Amino acid sequence: MPIDDQPKVSAFFASSVHDMKNSLGMLSGLLEKVLARHSESDFSDYHDLTAMLYETRRLNSDLMHLLTLYKLDLQRYPFQSQSVQLAEFLDDLQAQNDRLLVARGIELSCRLADASLEWHFDEDLVLGVINHAVNNASNYTQGRILVSVDVVDGMLEIRVEDDGGGYPPFMLTGEAGPSGVDFTRGSTGLGLFFATTVLALHKNKGRSGCLQLENGGHLGGGVFIVKIP
Amino acid sequence: MADTIQDFSSFRSLVIDDFGAMRTMLADMLKSYGARSIDMAANGREAVSQLSTRQYDIVLCDFNLGPGKNGQQLLEEAKFRNWISPTCAWMMITAEQTPDSVHGAVEYQPDGYLIKPVNAGLLHQRLGRVLARKSVFADIDVKLRRKDVRGALAKCDEKIKQEKQYASELLRWKAQMLVSIGDFEPARALLEEVLKGRDLAWARVALAEVMQYEGDYHGSCQLLKQVIDELPAHVRAYDLLAVAQEKLGQFEQARKTLESAARLSPNSPVRQKNMGELALRCGDTETAEASFRKSMTVGQHSVLKTPDSYIGLAHIIGGRHQTEEAARLLGTLPQVFEDAAVHIRAKAVEGLIYQQNGMAEQAEQSAVAVSEMMKKAALHHDTKASMETAALFFQTGRKEAAVALLSDVVRNNPDDQALLARVSKTYSDAGLHEEGMKWVKAARDEATALMNEGVLLARDRKLPEAVASMRRAVAAMPANVRVLVNCGHVMMLSLEQRDDPQLRREAVEVLMTALSLAPGDKRCAKLLAQLGALN
Repeated sequence: MPIDDQPKVSAFFASSVHDMKNSLGMLSGLLEKVLARHSESDFSDYHDLTAMLYETRRLNSDLMHLLTLYKLDLQRYPFQSQSVQLAEFLDDLQAQNDRLLVARGIELSCRLADASLEWHFDEDLVLGVINHAVNNASNYTQGRILVSVDVVDGMLEIRVEDDGGGYPPFMLTGEAGPSGVDFTRGSTGLGLFFATTVLALHKNKGRSGCLQLENGGHLGGGVFIVKIP
Repeated sequence: MADTIQDFSSFRSLVIDDFGAMRTMLADMLKSYGARSIDMAANGREAVSQLSTRQYDIVLCDFNLGPGKNGQQLLEEAKFRNWISPTCAWMMITAEQTPDSVHGAVEYQPDGYLIKPVNAGLLHQRLGRVLARKSVFADIDVKLRRKDVRGALAKCDEKIKQEKQYASELLRWKAQMLVSIGDFEPARALLEEVLKGRDLAWARVALAEVMQYEGDYHGSCQLLKQVIDELPAHVRAYDLLAVAQEKLGQFEQARKTLESAARLSPNSPVRQKNMGELALRCGDTETAEASFRKSMTVGQHSVLKTPDSYIGLAHIIGGRHQTEEAARLLGTLPQVFEDAAVHIRAKAVEGLIYQQNGMAEQAEQSAVAVSEMMKKAALHHDTKASMETAALFFQTGRKEAAVALLSDVVRNNPDDQALLARVSKTYSDAGLHEEGMKWVKAARDEATALMNEGVLLARDRKLPEAVASMRRAVAAMPANVRVLVNCGHVMMLSLEQRDDPQLRREAVEVLMTALSLAPGDKRCAKLLAQLGALN
């Protein structure tokens, strides 16, 4: 017998999240459009508008993470490792974040060790992880974020660095796990949990992906390191 | 660096979304990239009328379009009916990744997905990239649409050397093409080479498919189970696993596997129908009925809908003595399917159900109607229609016509043991066991004789006569794989002696027909390869 036919609260959860995502999508689209027509000098509420866009994006990203984790839990997320050009990946990252970061006076630069580098991973999931890291860094940075990509010890390494105050010590204990709940920083740990879950799905020749947090790096702030085999 | 197309000014676009504000937003985005010609559609119906009358370079399509067709069904229809050219970039906009979108049938996949919310910058990037990629793959696609797989493979090899950034995808295409023409050894070698470098799910699944064609169902099962263990949402792996389990006679397991696939991807009419047939095999009429009904529902707006689910359901309902309801259901088939063979099947099954329920008069009327329809329709050979009609003809005393139909089935499928067993059973059911065996043998002998005539002529090097004879054999037995392959062989002998582009095309067509009837036929694949070498 078909098994999906009994409605459950969890089913409404998923469909409502979809619906909310649609609304948020419209909202952030419209905000971006308005922001693109104005600049700081000709629009007095420019900063408030930027903050609205930032919060909208954050909400959307959280909902997206929840939905993906929910589907992974049900074994229904269609994980797909495919060949990704890292140059294109970084272009996507820039394209998605440029407008908001420029509006907030933050400079995002990307550095790719080998312009023709390609790697296999689930593009949507990893883009979700890095987007989250960039968003997070944008909260603590003084104005600069650096995303760099290289292959280290046979693993793809994507580093998101900022020039802020860095991670608090308790978050730096070895490999990051889902334990980093810190309500004072407005963090529920969802982003980190999502990142570690998603990276662990990436397997190749006996190795798994992982997440590492450090302080220092090129800009002296927090360093969010994604490793994919 | 990344290849991308930035200038959108010459492209014609279609935006399909049921939500007005979303359409406007997407159209505004396209305009901001320089696009000038943008059409809009608010639902599947509007989109069908636009796609069928105009050529688009870009289609932005929301997956959910409200009542009627969804975005995937629209794409399937557009590809099925050749409304969109190989260079058209079709971007699906969805709320989430679905198992179908990622692991579904490649031939019906869109060129890209965008997860909502759509970001203007990201859409521009992805669209530019897809358009650039399409221009690389278009040459291969054009050849594939002309069924020139050899030509497509040659193009693919060329591109693998030139277009490094698409190498991985080109290899995937290449493997699929090799499998489609039965070149299993090179396909296996290619896949094993790919897997040496990296554990890629698509390559493992393709390898499992090759193993099935080579008859290694156990090995295939094992490999697919490993893939599913790691990637429990890989729909294609479940579908292939179910095929292998069915071949191994593990019907109950096959059924469970298909159920898992259907839970991930409930909207495939064919998968639902297969589930129904498997449930019937396991004696579970209740599930079979539910599956057939589901197949009809999800097929309502799909070009991939199948009459088998209607007919399967009619048999179940008829078996419960709800004769009128079964007849009503069968009566809807002509409105749903254009194919004349389906209309004949509907009438024949209607008659069978009347007969089964003791309504001889009505059964007789159905039989008269089927006879009329058969006379009128210039019918291509349809095994199912012939089998069902023959059963009805026996039951209504039309022995001669029934035997003619069954002989035709045998001539077209002289090597299909399962089908021959069903033909024999039809004879036995009609109380004609002894004669039936003779008739089956006679039809098989006739098929062999017809075929041997051409083969013997070829052996005597009377090639023009041999080709003509094989053409007659194909006309008489259009679904007989052995005849088709031998015809291709004889044509190739003639081509070796004297090249003739038209005959070569004909030979390839005949062999491709054979291959579509018997995917992975080794001899057929070899001949196709040789034909390619003649080029």
